[in-house]
Amino acid sequence: MDERTFTKHAEDYAGRLYAVAYRMLGNRADAEDAVQRALLKCFAARASYSPRWAVSTWLYRAVANVCIDELRRRKVRGENVTVDDVRVESAKISERLDLTRALDRVPREARMLIALHYVNGLGYRELAAIRGISVNTVKSQLARGKAILKQALQAGGHDGSD
Amino acid sequence: MDRTDDVLREYFAVRAPAGLDTRLRAALREEPRALEALIDRFHVEASERGVARLAYGRGRDVAAGRGRRHAEQARQELAEYLAGRRTFFTVPVDLAGVGEFQGRVLAAANRIPFGQVTSYSDLARRIGHPRAARAVGNALGANPVPVIVPCHRVIRGDGSWGHYAFGGALKTRLLELERTTPLLVGCASTRIVCRRGCAHEQRIGENGRVVFASVADAAGVGYRPCKVCKPQDAAA
Repeated sequence: MDERTFTKHAEDYAGRLYAVAYRMLGNRADAEDAVQRALLKCFAARASYSPRWAVSTWLYRAVANVCIDELRRRKVRGENVTVDDVRVESAKISERLDLTRALDRVPREARMLIALHYVNGLGYRELAAIRGISVNTVKSQLARGKAILKQALQAGGHDGSD
Repeated sequence: MDRTDDVLREYFAVRAPAGLDTRLRAALREEPRALEALIDRFHVEASERGVARLAYGRGRDVAAGRGRRHAEQARQELAEYLAGRRTFFTVPVDLAGVGEFQGRVLAAANRIPFGQVTSYSDLARRIGHPRAARAVGNALGANPVPVIVPCHRVIRGDGSWGHYAFGGALKTRLLELERTTPLLVGCASTRIVCRRGCAHEQRIGENGRVVFASVADAAGVGYRPCKVCKPQDAAA
C-alpha cells in the first residue's frame, strides 16, 4: 500500500478509531495518543498489508491492540484515570455516567467487542477477524458483556430494557 | 433488539475532536525515532558464565571462548529490545565481580517487570533495608550490565528520573519504548499467547498479532499460554 492510499484510509477511519479508543480509555488525550500510535504502527508496516484483509479490519485491530495494552498498564499501575466531562444536555448526563460505570464492570475483551460493534456496526465475522477469535466466541462474549451491562444498569437504577 | 442497543449506539457515537486529522497527518510525516540504531553504540564484555559488562559509547566487544556466544546472544537480544520486539532477556549475566549488597539490589531490580517503574526507596524496602535508598541508588549507579538488568526502571520517589549511567535522555527513551511495546502477544492462527520476544512470538506474521492485557483475558477468548516463555509467570 503506498503512502498516499494509506493517508487517505487513515483520514477516513480516524474519527471511528478515535471513538473506539475514547470509550475504551475514557479521555481525549489517551484516545488521541492511542489512535496516533496505532496509525504509526500500520504506516510502518504498510508494506506487509495483505489485500486479503479489509483495511478497516487491519486498522481496528491495530487500535484495539494499543488500547488493550494501555489497559494492561493501567491495571498494573492501579491507576485512576481522568475521565473527561461529558457535555450533553442535563437529562442525559446521568444516563451516560451510568453507562460509563456499567461498562467498567464488563471484562476488557467483551468491552472491546462492544465498542467495535456499536461504534461501527461491525458484524460478528469482522469482530472475530479483528480480535483473532472465533465467531462463536464473539457471540458469547458480546452476549455476556451485554448481560453484565444490563445488570449493572438495573442495579444503578437505569432500566436498560423497554 | 431492545433499548440497550439504541442507548449503546448513541453512547458510542463520539465526535472526534477538532483538528484530529491535521494532528494525525503531522504525526505520520514525522521521522520515527529509531532507538534500534543505537545498538552499535553498545559494547558487551562476556565471560564463560555470561555478560559481565555492558558499556555505551566508543569501544568493542570483549569475549573469549564460550563468552563469545553470550556476547552474540546479548547483542541480538539487545537489538530486538531496542526495536521494540523483546520484553525480556534470557542471556545469562555474570555478576561475580559485584559485592553481596549490590548483588541483592541488582537481583531486586531484575524483578521489576517490563514497562513498570519503582522508586529507590521502594527497592530498598524490598531488599529489607528501608533506610538504604541512597545506597541502593549507588549500587544501581554502578550496575555493570544496564538495560539487561533494568536499573532504568528505578526512578526517584518524586517521579523525576534520577541519575542514569548512560544519560537521562537514554533513560527517557528506554522508558518511552517500554511504554509503547506490548507485553503479551497472541497468534491468531495458533491461538497461543506469548511474551513479546519469545521465539514463537517472533514467528507470528504482522497480520496475525493480537495483543492481550492478561493471560486470563486471553484464556477467556480461547488462547492458551505458550509453554516455552510461560507468560503466566511473567505477567503481573
